[in-house]
Amino acid sequence: MIRILNFFCIALMGLSILGLYHVSERARLANIELNSVNRQIADERAAISVLETEWEHVAGPGRVAELAAAKFGLDNTATAQLSSLELLPRRGDEAPLTPSPIRRASATEPASTPKLQQISVRDGTQ
Amino acid sequence: MSENAALYQRRIVIGAVMCVAAFALVLARLVDVTLLRGAGERSAHEVLENSRADLVDRNGELLARDIPVADLYARPHAFWDKRQAARDLATATGADQRRLAEIFAGKRPYVLVARQLTPDEQDRVLRLGLPGLDFQPTAKRYYPDGRATAQVLGVTSPDAHGEDQGVSGLEMGLNERLRGGHPGEAVQLSLDMRVQYILDSEIEASREEFRARAAGGLVLNVRTGEVLGMVSLPDFDPNTRALENDDTTRDIIGQDVYELGSVFKIFSFAMATEDHTVRPDEVLPIGNSLTIGRYAIHEAERMPATLAARDVLALSSNIGTAQIVLRSGPARQRQFLTRLGLLSPLRTELPESRRPLYPSHWGQIETATIGFGHGVAVTPLSFAAAAAAVVNGGRRIHPTFLKHPEDARGEQVISPETSLKMRELLRYVVTNGTGKKADAPGYDVGGKTGSAQKAGKHGYEHKLVTSFCAAFPIDDPQYLVFVMLDEPHGTKATFGFALAGYTAAPLAGRVISRIAPILGVPQKLPVAVAARSNT
Repeated sequence: MIRILNFFCIALMGLSILGLYHVSERARLANIELNSVNRQIADERAAISVLETEWEHVAGPGRVAELAAAKFGLDNTATAQLSSLELLPRRGDEAPLTPSPIRRASATEPASTPKLQQISVRDGTQ
Repeated sequence: MSENAALYQRRIVIGAVMCVAAFALVLARLVDVTLLRGAGERSAHEVLENSRADLVDRNGELLARDIPVADLYARPHAFWDKRQAARDLATATGADQRRLAEIFAGKRPYVLVARQLTPDEQDRVLRLGLPGLDFQPTAKRYYPDGRATAQVLGVTSPDAHGEDQGVSGLEMGLNERLRGGHPGEAVQLSLDMRVQYILDSEIEASREEFRARAAGGLVLNVRTGEVLGMVSLPDFDPNTRALENDDTTRDIIGQDVYELGSVFKIFSFAMATEDHTVRPDEVLPIGNSLTIGRYAIHEAERMPATLAARDVLALSSNIGTAQIVLRSGPARQRQFLTRLGLLSPLRTELPESRRPLYPSHWGQIETATIGFGHGVAVTPLSFAAAAAAVVNGGRRIHPTFLKHPEDARGEQVISPETSLKMRELLRYVVTNGTGKKADAPGYDVGGKTGSAQKAGKHGYEHKLVTSFCAAFPIDDPQYLVFVMLDEPHGTKATFGFALAGYTAAPLAGRVISRIAPILGVPQKLPVAVAARSNT
């Protein structure tokens, strides 16, 4: 009986050793793969970082302006900010043509008399 | 027999000891190669993990970043033809061929070929197929916008341990924050690259047009104190760090002090308005000169015999301004300028700062000359901060280069009423005075010109520093633009004049008309249209 038990224990131990070896080997391989993937991710992050930097360089306003002038003959044009998104009314709000914070963009009709215009005459009487 | 056995035993022991010693040597070498040397070699991403944080502008645009590069080393004894190797490596890396040939012919077994090779350069080297080459990963601080941000961002340099440390500009001023960051973190600055580019390109164009020795400018939010753009020319390439032609690392806006001339009249009139010592419509005698003790004050240009106070500012009369500031007196003027922060060094994130220069004896003549901007030398950045307080409702601000969009106005230094009157006067300078060329239709620019003679070894010379300080929209200012040109020359278009009204004022106007739409400042009706419809 003892001999059978011993044999069983030794067999169990052998199987355990084999199982443990198998698990540890799989863990080792998984670890190698994990390190490899981590390294790959980090390398790709580094590459993305370089590409982002390169993009900032090639898409910078100075370079775009230079290329636009050289290739298309474009130049700066006069721009005007007539209003902004913050000043636009939301749906359901009061209509914009009634008294509202929006400045009217008409070239012929002023929204209001600019306050500081009154001192723009040299003798100061107006 | 027993003697022989003892002899054999001794030999076996000696042999065993030698074997153990040999294995110990092999083991030591293994530890050295695998553990000690292995730890010294870093991959590209490991290098980046220990890098400085990025610098980005207020909209998240990248301004500075560490990118992975490699230093190239060589073992010359591995080359078949050392001269050919020197020639090929010089072509691929840009290194000096003669230097490479010399070090390859020397006795050193391991030599540095080139530092900080970009991936493209590394690729070119690898294509040579030379043996005995070794790439050591490292990081390089790269500035995508190059010269446009060079003066304000500054540069880094490796210390004794090979770690990059800021040596100028914001790289130095924010060094601890940039070094203490985690990978992927960024320090967000107040700069707006769109504004910075416009400021840089316009100032560069004006500098060329008027053949100025140097030029600079800044855009400041008068409520938050954020600097949206700051330019100083000449500049340098922060990526190569090689100074070419007239390149310099000197930042004239934050680092140099100037007697700024008539732009200082802003403070003289603010003080007089605050003290109620003058009314805008009060008429003052001008004449040919004003004598104070042994000194006589003259005008830079011909002036009428009398001027209303507002025209003293608009036409920039030195004699009129001197009379006005003398009513407040030396002690009050000194106290007023001190409250505005003009008589102490300005502390910002920039490490470079200069102490202002002012006379130790502050008498009547000093009061008069300081009234029109001579006798006190301050940095343009310090001046802009004080001018912002005059137009922002009278509250002091501290300029910052870090994003801080909240209202940061502090101590009340002049009353809101004085600030309002000053804004009206500054608008008047642009509509009726020397600042006409600074007007940007629809944006209600208010401002003041300054044309200061430069002080030389033998007194004031016929060289000018011209400047313009503008605020817009002037009825409720959000931004201040300050531009200056050092030793500009008149052109045919300016009839030979180099005064600020011809050089700095149009520059400020162009900058404002380009940045205002970007900054979301709504355009009002052009002044002419509004005036026509009022009548």
